[in-house]
Amino acid sequence: MAIPITVPRLGWNMEQGVFVGWLKADGDTIRVGDSLFTLEGEKAAEDVECLDAGALHIPANAPQPGETVLVGALLGYLLQPGESPPKADSPPMPVAAAAEPAVVKAIASPAIETTPRERPASSPRARRVAEELNVDWKQAKGSGHSGRIREKDVRALAEAGTSFGNATRRLIAERMVASQKATAPVTLVTTVDATELVQFRDRCKANGSAVPSYTDLLVKLCAAALERHPALNARWENDRVVPSAGIRIGIAVDTDGGLLVPVIRDAAKISLAELTVQSRDLIERARAGKLSGKELRGGTFTVSSLGGFGIDAFTPIINLPECAVLGMGRIRRVPVVVDDQIAIRDQVTLSLTFDHRIVDGAPAARFLQTLTKLVEAPTPTLDSLAPSPSGRGLG
Amino acid sequence: MSRSSLDHESLLQLYRSMLRIRLCEEQLAKSHQRGLVHGACHTYVGQEAIAVGVCAHLDKNDAVFSTHRGHGHALAKGVTPEELIAELYGRATGCSRGRGGSMHLFSPEVGMMGTSGIVGPCILQAAGAGYSSKLLKNGAVGVAFFGDGAVNNGAFHEGLNLASIWKLPALFVCENNQFATEVPFSYSAGNPTVASRAASYGMPGAELDGNDVLAIRAAAGEAIARARSGGGPTLLECKTYRTRPHAEGMGDFTYRTREDVEAWKPRCPIKRLREHLLAEKVASEKELAGIEEQMQSEILAAHAAAEKSAPPKASEAATHVYSEPRQVPAVPANAATRETTYMQATLDAIAYEMEKNPAIFVLGEGIGKRGGNFRTTFGLYDRFGPDRLCDTPIAERGFVGLGGGAAMTGARPVIDFMFADFVLDSVGEIINQIAKIQYMSDGRIKMPILLRGCIGIGHSAATHHSGNYYPMYAHFPGLRVVVPSNAYDAKGLLHHALRVDDPVLFLEHRELLSTKSMVPEGDYEIPFGQAAIVREGTDVTVVALALMVHHAQKACDILAKEGVSVELIDPRTVAPLDVDTILKSVAKTGRLLIVDEAFGPYGIGAEIAAQASDRGFDDLDAPIRRLNGVHTPTPYSPSLEAAVVPNLESITQAIRDLVAE
Repeated sequence: MAIPITVPRLGWNMEQGVFVGWLKADGDTIRVGDSLFTLEGEKAAEDVECLDAGALHIPANAPQPGETVLVGALLGYLLQPGESPPKADSPPMPVAAAAEPAVVKAIASPAIETTPRERPASSPRARRVAEELNVDWKQAKGSGHSGRIREKDVRALAEAGTSFGNATRRLIAERMVASQKATAPVTLVTTVDATELVQFRDRCKANGSAVPSYTDLLVKLCAAALERHPALNARWENDRVVPSAGIRIGIAVDTDGGLLVPVIRDAAKISLAELTVQSRDLIERARAGKLSGKELRGGTFTVSSLGGFGIDAFTPIINLPECAVLGMGRIRRVPVVVDDQIAIRDQVTLSLTFDHRIVDGAPAARFLQTLTKLVEAPTPTLDSLAPSPSGRGLG
Repeated sequence: MSRSSLDHESLLQLYRSMLRIRLCEEQLAKSHQRGLVHGACHTYVGQEAIAVGVCAHLDKNDAVFSTHRGHGHALAKGVTPEELIAELYGRATGCSRGRGGSMHLFSPEVGMMGTSGIVGPCILQAAGAGYSSKLLKNGAVGVAFFGDGAVNNGAFHEGLNLASIWKLPALFVCENNQFATEVPFSYSAGNPTVASRAASYGMPGAELDGNDVLAIRAAAGEAIARARSGGGPTLLECKTYRTRPHAEGMGDFTYRTREDVEAWKPRCPIKRLREHLLAEKVASEKELAGIEEQMQSEILAAHAAAEKSAPPKASEAATHVYSEPRQVPAVPANAATRETTYMQATLDAIAYEMEKNPAIFVLGEGIGKRGGNFRTTFGLYDRFGPDRLCDTPIAERGFVGLGGGAAMTGARPVIDFMFADFVLDSVGEIINQIAKIQYMSDGRIKMPILLRGCIGIGHSAATHHSGNYYPMYAHFPGLRVVVPSNAYDAKGLLHHALRVDDPVLFLEHRELLSTKSMVPEGDYEIPFGQAAIVREGTDVTVVALALMVHHAQKACDILAKEGVSVELIDPRTVAPLDVDTILKSVAKTGRLLIVDEAFGPYGIGAEIAAQASDRGFDDLDAPIRRLNGVHTPTPYSPSLEAAVVPNLESITQAIRDLVAE
């Protein structure tokens, strides 16, 4: 049986080498221990010792000196006496025995079995992104393994939200209906002289500082009125009235995605200037979709203005679980009777919707009365906790 | 120097030194009872003649390494009683700044290179100090003091043999006090004498009366002179007895009797010298009483000062684990590059550094003339000679421990251990000594040692030539662990490793040695703890190490065609580990897979996953996955071997699965 001569592995990692050349000629008699050929591996060229005996047969298609050869490639044969060379030179021997496909699996033990979840599984990143985009991740459809809601699902939801039928819209719808179902809303309407309020704002403009919007002014005045009428600042919870610890006033903001109501904290305690800065920031970020959920929660009263759209009066809907909401119409210069004279004054209509479960009509009317007086003579309230436009603040 | 030639002052100096040790130990025994000594307290009472007789010949450039009973050696070498006492009291003024206590005394300023709670390493370290002396030609001698308990330990055998074959200037002093803690030497030694073992290693040995300071001084003088003049090492066996318990507060009469102890007390070495001095009229009773009074007040003052010293600050409890980081210049932008194999790139780096730094030497099997099993030192023997390319016997614990001692004394050893599996025999030296000494010495001793060798599975190397082990080393403070994946990184990281003062495990995956990349021709450094972003992507972060980086790159190509964009990160070093780069990537992709050939449990992937879920929780869009080598010894047969390592197919599938999670 002809003994094949193949390319040996010279080092640990050798996969191929350079066949330098034969040290014996075709037909030579080879003894065990003879150096047969020279092979260059990774480290050096080595003379390869023959470990069998026989007559060397070098096939015509054997590798030529200088050729790169794979480990296991056939170089020639040793023939025993009387033996003729194999007819067809067999292909190079495989480098390693063919292994069955073995696949190392990632370490992933089965998930721990739990009782069915009340809400769908979601990734931490999906929840973070939901907060950033101000969408409700629970509304997303999970595309992950086992239905997990992933970042892309939340982004898809937010994307869809820019067109009709988005999650914010659904949320608003739910909340409006819930409010209408749960509360006993009554709306009181009154028209108030806003001349001094307009003058106050004009002074702010002249002063050069950040100019408060009429909503800002109303928020500040409402906070002062709520301090005197805490019942309007309460909420309905578990079938009873619960007073609120602070005064936190939501401002209704119209955004592309729908109505958002970011909340101004400590509205009674901060100065008008601070309030102006805060509300501007909240409104900007509400429109850019960058409010956190926290900034949208915890309000105790809401101010909503449609004056910019030429609306005089409307019936705002209570933002649950608050007690009341104030709607502000446009400010108009109109002729009014003052001391039996016709005078030109600035007038505004205020609409207060309150929850009759929490408070009765008379206390609500008294609140509106207080607010009316504050609007008619706003300067002392708005100047408190200055820096004030007139420079008389406490500093 | 014979005993008769000693002058009056030298004799009195011996008396003073022994007395200083005795009185200091008596003070410490009292303080231990009073609770001033917080931990163990191993006194040297009864053995004073040995430290004093030997150290009489040493100066601060000579390096002493000792064992857990080292107070006497420290004092004889020049540590002040106040520094020793303060150390046992746990004070910032202690010789180890309160980091060591009784068993870990360091004062490199006087050549007290350390005592150890582990029996044996001091022998190897003293041999290492001898190697430094031989290499740097500074005339210093390395001295090891150890008990009879150390002589049945492999470090003794390996250390003495290495010192002998290399004719190192070293002295091995066995203090045979007859008990290894409580186990009698007569029980644990087949050969009842230690001194006679010297013949096994081809070095002179002498058995001495360990309580005769003059005899010890004379014999040590001869041995040290021989060492300094190139005559090689000596083994001295000093027969003695400790007359106090193994440690203060421990019962003493379960393994020996009160009578045994009492019988030895009259043979007290101090009493013996005193009687000699009086009999030979070297000193008067009055003169000796004066010395005794002077020593007593010195120790009382030391105790008082130590007691008044402040404790070390808690804020400094974790300083000096590593040396100060080096400022690393940027890789030259326009350097000429050429395609180089991994193996050649590291050879270029080490050749360059050896040319620049004469303190670098290489120890290992077949790294001399042969040039290294993996050509790690090819051609260097001819350039730098046998002292700098030193072939070793197969004695990993021995030459690694020796390397540690050499690193502590001014040399920069490179231990080339061929296969990482082999070096497991020396893990105690690496973890207990090499990793800890910078810290224990409060940063006063540096440990610039490079430990390099091959890791990794492939080509049927089977279980004793395939281990990865880097997660294990990364667990311990004090070590740097480098796992380069390509020629460029390997060269830059090796240049850096040979310039920092920390111990570095430089682990080269065997399957990568012939891979090529474009490498700058000159020297450049890649600092530790900076991951490479191999490929940028947006959908999933894959962290891979060593060979797995190459597989993962191919997986990236396949997945790119499927529309999956993979960001591939190679940490390059696992200690320190650049978690920030990984987390920044995860913040982008939300998905993390760690591909590591090393074992999963308690591994690098586990560490990365823990940090990612802690610091990057809100960034995760899917569970963190690991793909590791199977937790099994490495088998031989190709079909079995292939089944235990991640491959292109399994990596690609793991990434697909994670993207679908």
